[in-house]
Amino acid sequence: MRMTRAGLLVLVAFSIPVAIELRVLFGFFGVKLPLTASIVFEAVFLLLIAVFYNVSAEPKSATKN
Amino acid sequence: MATFVDRYPEEASVVKATLVVSFLSLGIGALFGLVQALHRTGYLRILDSVDYYTVLTGHGVLLALVFTIFFLMGLFTWAVVQSLERPLPDIRLSWAWVGLTTTGAVFAAVAILAGLVPSIDMSADVLYTFYAPLMGHPLFYIGLAMFIVGTWLAGADWFLAYRDWRGDNPDERIPLQTFMVLTTMLMWYLATLGVAVSTVFFLIPWSFGWVETVNPLLTRTLFWFFGHPVVYFWLMPAYMLWYTVLPKLAGGRLFSDPLARVVFVLFLLLSTPVGIHHQYLDPGIAEGFKFIAMTNTMFLLLPSLLTAFTVVASIEHGARQRGGEGYIKWLGALPWRDPAFTGMALAGAMFAAGGFSGMINAGMNINYLIHNTLWVPGHFHLTVGTAVALTMMAGSYWLVPQLTGKRLYSRPIGLLQVVLWFVGMVLMSNAMHRGGLAGIPRRTAEPQYQNFEFSTMLGSVEEIQAGIALGGTLLFVSAVLFLFNILLSSIEDPIENPVDDSLPAPLSGASGSPVVLDNLRLWTAIAVVLVILAYTLPLAGIVGDAGVWGDVPGVPVWVSGNLDAALAALPEVIA
Ligand code: HEM
Ligand SMILES: [Cu+2]
Repeated sequence: MRMTRAGLLVLVAFSIPVAIELRVLFGFFGVKLPLTASIVFEAVFLLLIAVFYNVSAEPKSATKN
Repeated sequence: MATFVDRYPEEASVVKATLVVSFLSLGIGALFGLVQALHRTGYLRILDSVDYYTVLTGHGVLLALVFTIFFLMGLFTWAVVQSLERPLPDIRLSWAWVGLTTTGAVFAAVAILAGLVPSIDMSADVLYTFYAPLMGHPLFYIGLAMFIVGTWLAGADWFLAYRDWRGDNPDERIPLQTFMVLTTMLMWYLATLGVAVSTVFFLIPWSFGWVETVNPLLTRTLFWFFGHPVVYFWLMPAYMLWYTVLPKLAGGRLFSDPLARVVFVLFLLLSTPVGIHHQYLDPGIAEGFKFIAMTNTMFLLLPSLLTAFTVVASIEHGARQRGGEGYIKWLGALPWRDPAFTGMALAGAMFAAGGFSGMINAGMNINYLIHNTLWVPGHFHLTVGTAVALTMMAGSYWLVPQLTGKRLYSRPIGLLQVVLWFVGMVLMSNAMHRGGLAGIPRRTAEPQYQNFEFSTMLGSVEEIQAGIALGGTLLFVSAVLFLFNILLSSIEDPIENPVDDSLPAPLSGASGSPVVLDNLRLWTAIAVVLVILAYTLPLAGIVGDAGVWGDVPGVPVWVSGNLDAALAALPEVIA
């Protein structure tokens, strides 16, 4: 699936609440994650999504329609 | 005959006038929001903490009452005119309500903002709930009353337009958007009775000193008689956009017209007899009445869940029309590049989160955990502060070009703006919810106690404060980008078709919905009966306890001139 730039932006936005609430999720199981865990998670996610975007995006000339 | 402004130029001017007031309030209110967010977290204090309530009152009134309701008045005018396909009956009436509501809002705003100027002996730091015995300057209550009467006239304008249309179309179903406007206004007429009685009979005479005392529980209860349904008054314009515009923007059509009608009827019936759920902690109201209010509140979840279903189904239909496939992958086929679509979709997603924290508020027992903590602003910045406000901003990207005949200045800035609001609100609201669970109070500039530490469940209070300050800053930037984009759009050159303004017919149309749904008299009658059942006994009890006029003198908040009077009154109030 080709990802648009707007889609990318929205996906990144959605990852932020997930990263924040990750600590609550782990908290349910008695695991106390520090704030850095959320930050690292977000950074890794951004890296992955950047790679995915560059692989999946069409060649520059065809991106605009 | 390109777009709305070409077909109905006079009505377009009315709508534009209301939107100007709305957006101006948004700008001032957002600035105040930033000041508060930075002040109470200790990051930046440009004002004395004594002025915090002036700013907070301005923020609450300008955003929750002026920004939202002026937008509503514009949107409803547009909706009635374009769905009935006829101009308003008398444009002078329309300008009369624009004038009255605007004057009222200006009066209230002046009374509040004067609190920042020590040399003017006027203030109304009573917060947007104006609980007695806090006493604001009379101008505040007079402005409020004018504003309410103005909205009544606006409703009359739309009902008259409907009556004319009915005369020409005796057998047709009420067009969906007009149906939404009329049911919402019937709810509003019923709900505003409470606040009108409270201001006109009690607060205005009392603030002038014509009567000495007030019954705080009575005016509070009358306030919440209106204060819950007003949240649906904010929400119904957003629902109207989600039901009738969002599916189109997604590339599809509304899933079901009958379901939309059922939802609006349910809101008319159930919005008002629940206000006591804001008073779970008020002494003087028997627990049984609170329990009834809680039960009614839980029923109110139904129309919102119906909405979630219908709107998501419509969006999915749109995505599949655009070639979307799979269980999840269709989300990628949606028009995320369009700020109007993306903003409304993000607003809807946040509303789901706000709905969940609202269920906590609504439960009589767990409400005690979060009552009057920062959790509460955390909750309503998701609902009115995002579901409503972000939908209104996003909707403007589609609506304003129809009113001006000019294209939107920048779609990418619009997209950035709506995403920034989402991110800022995630940070601010999440931190507020957490702070509330730790017991941090709302409505205070300096939430520190001596020899006391808030114990958080996760992370630290510093993290919470950073979340609020950073989130608040992003929100402010987002509001500025919005205003800037709209302002620059208004100086573009007019073009033929600035936006595709056609609204496709629903998949399941009005012909499939039971005729009884359009029987507005029936639904109003049932709504009145429910209100009588829910409120007669509690009000009788409250009046029985302390009398109609009460026994509590006022505490004027225009302290500069009345410091002595206020101090003198205090022991009496406490006793
Ligand atoms: C720039 C965006 C905004 C920021 C930074 C912001 C910030 C804040 C903060 C920090 C408070 C809590 C103050 C306290 O309890 O001590 C607050 C209260 C409030 N906000 Fe906002 N807000 C924003 C937008 C909005 C919007 C769009 C609305 C409604 C449409 C809204 C409605 C309210 C209301 C009703 C209160 C409660 C006032 C009271 O307690 O009397 N805010 N806001
Ligand atoms: Cu409520």
